[in-house]
Amino acid sequence: MLQAGSAVRGLCKAIRPSAPIVKAADKAMAAHALPATLVLSRSQSNKPVVADNRVEVFVDDIPVMVEPGTTVLQAAAMAGVEIPRFCYHERLSVAGNCRMCLVEVEKAAKPVAACAMPVMKGWRIKTNSEMTRKAREGVMEFLLINHPLDCPICDQGGECDLQDQSMAFGSDRTRFLDPKRAVEDKNLGPLVKTIMTRCIHCTRCVRFASEVAGVEDLGTTGRGNSMEIGTYVEKMLLSELSGNVIDLCPVGALTSKPYSFSARPWELRRTDSIDVFDALGSNITVNHRTGEVLRILPKTNEDINEEWLADKARFACDGLKRQRLVAPMVKDSKGDLRPCEWEDALIVAATALQEANGSVAAVAGGQADAEALTALRDLVYRLGGQHVCTEEVFPDNGSGTDLRSNYLLNSSIAGMEEADLVVFIGTNPRYVVLVLPCMSPTPGAWCWCCLVCHQPQHLGDSSATVEQLCAGTHAFSSKLAAAKRPMIIVGQALLGQSQGGVLYAKICQLANKLRGSVEPSWRVLNVLHRVASQVAALDLGYKAGVAAVRQQKPKVLFLLGADEGAITRSDLPADTTVIYQGSHGDAGAAMADIVLPGATYTEKTATYVNTEGRAQTTLAAITPPGYAREDWKIIRAISEVLLCVFNVVAHEEPMNVMLQSVGAARVDGSAVLRPALLQLEDYYMTDVVSRASPTMAKCIAAVKKEKSNRYHSK
Amino acid sequence: MAFFGLDRVSRFFNLIKENGGFRQSLYKLYRQNDLKSGTLVGTDKLGNKYYENNEYFLGRNRWVIYSPSLGTDFDGSAVSPAWFGWLHYKTDIPPTQKEHVQYSYIDTTPSPNPTGTNKAYIPYTTGKPKIQAWVPPTRS
Amino acid sequence: MALCRKILSLGSPMRQLVLSSERCLSVSTTHHIDNLNKKQVEPKGVEALNPVEKNLTITVEGLADITKLTGVPEEHIKPRRVLIKKPTKNAMQSGTNNLHKWVMTFDTKERWENPLMGWASTADPLSNLEVEFASKEDAIVFCEKNGWQWAVQEPPQKPPRAKSYADNFSWNKRTRRSTK
Repeated sequence: MLQAGSAVRGLCKAIRPSAPIVKAADKAMAAHALPATLVLSRSQSNKPVVADNRVEVFVDDIPVMVEPGTTVLQAAAMAGVEIPRFCYHERLSVAGNCRMCLVEVEKAAKPVAACAMPVMKGWRIKTNSEMTRKAREGVMEFLLINHPLDCPICDQGGECDLQDQSMAFGSDRTRFLDPKRAVEDKNLGPLVKTIMTRCIHCTRCVRFASEVAGVEDLGTTGRGNSMEIGTYVEKMLLSELSGNVIDLCPVGALTSKPYSFSARPWELRRTDSIDVFDALGSNITVNHRTGEVLRILPKTNEDINEEWLADKARFACDGLKRQRLVAPMVKDSKGDLRPCEWEDALIVAATALQEANGSVAAVAGGQADAEALTALRDLVYRLGGQHVCTEEVFPDNGSGTDLRSNYLLNSSIAGMEEADLVVFIGTNPRYVVLVLPCMSPTPGAWCWCCLVCHQPQHLGDSSATVEQLCAGTHAFSSKLAAAKRPMIIVGQALLGQSQGGVLYAKICQLANKLRGSVEPSWRVLNVLHRVASQVAALDLGYKAGVAAVRQQKPKVLFLLGADEGAITRSDLPADTTVIYQGSHGDAGAAMADIVLPGATYTEKTATYVNTEGRAQTTLAAITPPGYAREDWKIIRAISEVLLCVFNVVAHEEPMNVMLQSVGAARVDGSAVLRPALLQLEDYYMTDVVSRASPTMAKCIAAVKKEKSNRYHSK
Repeated sequence: MAFFGLDRVSRFFNLIKENGGFRQSLYKLYRQNDLKSGTLVGTDKLGNKYYENNEYFLGRNRWVIYSPSLGTDFDGSAVSPAWFGWLHYKTDIPPTQKEHVQYSYIDTTPSPNPTGTNKAYIPYTTGKPKIQAWVPPTRS
Repeated sequence: MALCRKILSLGSPMRQLVLSSERCLSVSTTHHIDNLNKKQVEPKGVEALNPVEKNLTITVEGLADITKLTGVPEEHIKPRRVLIKKPTKNAMQSGTNNLHKWVMTFDTKERWENPLMGWASTADPLSNLEVEFASKEDAIVFCEKNGWQWAVQEPPQKPPRAKSYADNFSWNKRTRRSTK
């Protein structure tokens, strides 16, 4: 979250009480953020530590109070001592097989594996003793026995844990003279490149695939020197999270295929940003060089994506370089779009807007930012237009989008971990929005209306099931009523259909009923959006769905990155002027009379609101190509040509809302609730950027081909 | 004479004389930034005159006086290919003594340096463009 | 015209003369400022003070604004935005040693490809400036002093995680699922 710094002195004051100012002597102590429940105490501190069931241990003679059951490695981290590790990862189960974290514990006969050993009272842990150093050196020598010396051509070079730790803790020579073992590379698909000779068997990838991604494709075969990581049989790693094993791999055994041999980590410039391929708002780091986005890595945010990232967000960045609009275009007398100067395009657009005499409408697409949305809304209203819409549909009966809680993921993403029962209606969270933290779906059972946690259950795929659930006649209703913290997550397959409004109203009623039995602060009803711009657009007063525009038949239609074909030429009268503003040439630009080249999310500093209503800012990493410009600036330029300059404001303050009650309604007939994205191949291309990405095209081809693999599990 | 340095005075006047008097000398000084005396080794087609005086040290003992037709707007590209080798110590035999070997691919008449003109070379990237632009579909 | 060209082509001696004359000018100005500083640092009668009093520090009331003195052009003061943050861990590695300092980075200005060599160029001298601070307050004061707009990004709060090797053998945990 950004704190704007204008009234600085006041803010400085505001910050100070909560964050104590650090004296130079205590810098080392304050440098490590401590978890709330764990308190660091030092012998020289004056405050007596409240004696509870915590135990005191000493890490390099620094006393630390920790909860019983804390591992040696965690206790050391609390004392500010980092123990080297390969197999241990905070978010995966403890494997304890790399032995790099061996440390000496006083009075213990052998060094202990810090990642797996819980501390005992009064233990004195020595992380820099002779025995510890010798243990590390020995482990490193064993690890390097079979590790090839190909750092100069390895993609991990420069950001490799093995490289760094062998420099810090390893010996200067090896005593092993036998030939090195070699392992055949596995084909894991178009995203993950394997050089299995480099593998040190930390099994992080295996644990990630099974515990987080929910695909049990990876595993180990053989033992001892002939142990191998692989998929047992020749098959692809079929997961939308497969890219994360590249990050997890501490050596260069799993590297990124699209990024291979393209750059070294020290050449890259890094800019923190926000992902816009789904409504989750994952935090990312854009790695770029020479004005070109080379790769995208996740950035830790405990409340949203932890440190994972979906494949589309990670690998579709090559779509940012293809099919770009690099110059303004205006249709000539033959009806072909011709590149022109900004001045001409702005004048043509402004003239068309003025001559429309108020018959102006706007449709915003899925990746529009809040600043551009605000500017566009103000422009349309100023010109006398009535309708600013989004492509994505949301029911507007009842209070519709007037109340903010109607269209948000109210329980928050981090809050999903606390839920004991989650019902997904009309959405497949696995492909719509990567919702990771607590849930590891089993691929086959993860369907459109199901219960997660350990045994996902498919309840049905028609509106009748929803009606039964609402009426309490479904077999599952008793479980739902008994749940302490139930969550109902509603998705686009329900909201987008003709009966969506009625069904949504029924679900609201059900959620209201359930709220009686759960704790007051718990929110039952949640909406999972598909696209990044939707919440910001609804916050800004956009109307969901383009039905109003179809009815109005405006003289000028302004498309802000609207490419999903919600409105087509056939919906509009022949004399309608279509202005398209966006970054990529796709359906929207193809039907436009005037094309204004905008920027993608890596090229502008812009605000996006995610599905839980959290406003986050992307930071511009690179410059828009050619004549393309930041979106709000273009709209402002048009308005300046129109001589109606208005202020461009960022996103609005979140509204204070409460859940409304809805009247009884009846569903006509039976509707099928089937999310659009059910198969992995549907997942890869959902927007202009991913449609332009060659990597995503390769993924789809590979997944389709994999279906003919005889080892493919249905 | 040499002891008192008076020979330099006579050498100065000799230099003026060899260069055609005070007016000529001043003009040459203006045009070439230097006043030298030496033996004329030869003249090329363009009228450039090539001199040598081995009393100067190596590197300064061969020089060219560009043709008056070039005025003050001359540069190294006016040296003819035949004389280039001699002037740059590639060979000690000037083209006056031995016929310069002609190659079909070497232009016998040197072309002037195009810097500052329309024909000047402007570097451009030969790599693939990083951004691939969208080409709108045409009706025809 | 030709004369100009010749002076340019003259090479080192003459150019050095021109440059050195400029340097003379700049030296004299520096000298002037040095004198001023001297005056401020050592007031008269300082010898008379005892050693303890000699270590006087001058406290300036309120926030200092040094934008007038630094000589930084206007375009690099007012429109520049600084992000103050603690670096987050590189997703590719597990080391955390560099994450304890606060750093300030500037917003990205235009970068372009040099047509001759294809190298990346920028006209922004601040693009590579990353200053480290022990606390965000220090960073804020520094930005205030230099007249930059700033924003603070709080580091992610780590929730405590109970980790246990024994979880691998419990029947209801999401670990080692393929073996259960």
